[in-house]
Amino acid sequence: MGMVAKSTLMKWHYITGLILVVVLGIHLAFRWPSYEASIQWSSPHGVYEQLLNIGYMAAIFILLYAATYHAMNGLRTLLLELHQGRYWNTAVDVVIIALGIFIVIVGTVALVGALQVI
Amino acid sequence: MSSVKAGLKIEVKRGTFTFRVKRYDPKTGGYRWSEYKVEVTSRQTVLDALLKIKSTQDATLAVRYSCRMGICGSCAMVINGVPRLACETKPFELGTDVITVEPLSNLKPIKDLVVDMDEFFEKHKSVKPWLIRRDEGEQFEKLDSYYVQTEEQLINYLEFAYCIKCGACYSACPMVFLNKNYLGPQALAAAYRWSADNRDEGYVLRLKVIDSDNGVWSCHYSGTCSKVCPKGVDPALAINLLKKSLLTGKPPAR
Amino acid sequence: MTEKLATKRNPPKWSLWLRGLDEWLLIFQKVSGAILAIYLIGHTLVISTALGFGHPSQLTWERVIGLIEGPRVVGVAHVGTIIEYLIALLVAVHGANGVRLILMQYFGLGLPKPERHTYPMIPSPRKSPQLVYKYLVIAVVIVFIILASYVAFVG
Repeated sequence: MGMVAKSTLMKWHYITGLILVVVLGIHLAFRWPSYEASIQWSSPHGVYEQLLNIGYMAAIFILLYAATYHAMNGLRTLLLELHQGRYWNTAVDVVIIALGIFIVIVGTVALVGALQVI
Repeated sequence: MSSVKAGLKIEVKRGTFTFRVKRYDPKTGGYRWSEYKVEVTSRQTVLDALLKIKSTQDATLAVRYSCRMGICGSCAMVINGVPRLACETKPFELGTDVITVEPLSNLKPIKDLVVDMDEFFEKHKSVKPWLIRRDEGEQFEKLDSYYVQTEEQLINYLEFAYCIKCGACYSACPMVFLNKNYLGPQALAAAYRWSADNRDEGYVLRLKVIDSDNGVWSCHYSGTCSKVCPKGVDPALAINLLKKSLLTGKPPAR
Repeated sequence: MTEKLATKRNPPKWSLWLRGLDEWLLIFQKVSGAILAIYLIGHTLVISTALGFGHPSQLTWERVIGLIEGPRVVGVAHVGTIIEYLIALLVAVHGANGVRLILMQYFGLGLPKPERHTYPMIPSPRKSPQLVYKYLVIAVVIVFIILASYVAFVG
């Protein structure tokens, strides 16, 4: 990561952190009043109804991308602070980027497909 | 024993304390503990006690000291588990009968209580802790006026200028322990002190060093540095203000 | 010369760090962050599988979620519910402390302005804005625990 200044990476870490507080709040709020009911497909506040809610789905898309960046950057900082040498540092960078891309692709495919129900 | 001076009564108590000193032995490469019983008054400091030990009990005890009044920064050591200045710590005020004295942590020992401060000073030097002007010769050749500074501009950095480079904050920082290359709270506070000085024009030259994994971003705000600083420098505040400048892109307050 | 210069630093004093709340919060932020990052990977995979990787159906959803949730253990709550509840708790503390750090370092909220010293000198981690922050974090977490317990176990 010699191309990007650490402060730029951390700036986005903090911005995604604030975004996450909002969208995670929404994601968790949709479990109200009953967690069990909210994970059933066809109950009153269930999964099917959540998929139909465009605003909620927008929040989930934002959640996917913000959380991936925040988690991957955080994990990278953590792992690099173990200071295990140059090969470790390069390996961490490669794995983190690969993992991030993987999560984003899997999540996007699933969510875009889920929008079909609308 | 008490003395009366113009109606003021000063009570001076005497007491015997046990000093357990952790000493590094360069011959064996290991540590050993030495115990000394010393009688001190309530006006005397740990440094006084150590020097009394040196002159009456054990002349081989190695201690760094100089001004004995809290301004040179030589006598920093870990007393009862906390990095402090030996000349500003009184045994009577510590509250224990046994006082543990150890050399500063996070630094390499040379002998007994003396540590190698080279790495500490190298890191300090790397942030260019001096006044940088665009015109290098200005300060030395064109001396026709002084650099103006108002009271407000002075206060922006004054607190951080009180640093005596004693090494207590460096010794107290958990991230210095975890990251051998972390600049440390003293160097970063010095970087802020010079960057926030309105007479200085060298902030961008210091950026590469402070905006790195071993610069401010190794600090995770444990705050221990500020809690142990004997001069009230508050390096934690300086580092947070530096981070704010780096994140928002605005140079430190002038 | 039989003396050799040391190559290892003096060890730190752990007692100095064990009694500071800031030091514990720092460890917690890292540990909870690691756990949550791994959870993110798992959660994305599970939900994406349950949504059929782009071909959502009620059957796929119910089979995958039924498998993941496990048997009922406490009232209406399944094993999966308990795990998610604990993860949500981690999120609450990580998030509340994180917001405190972001407000401090990005916006400078709660950072005292450098001033001339007054005595006794109080370092900024011990000044009142920091204490206010920490009490707020605790308050937010307690409210969150109450709401989350209701949603998971009662609702």
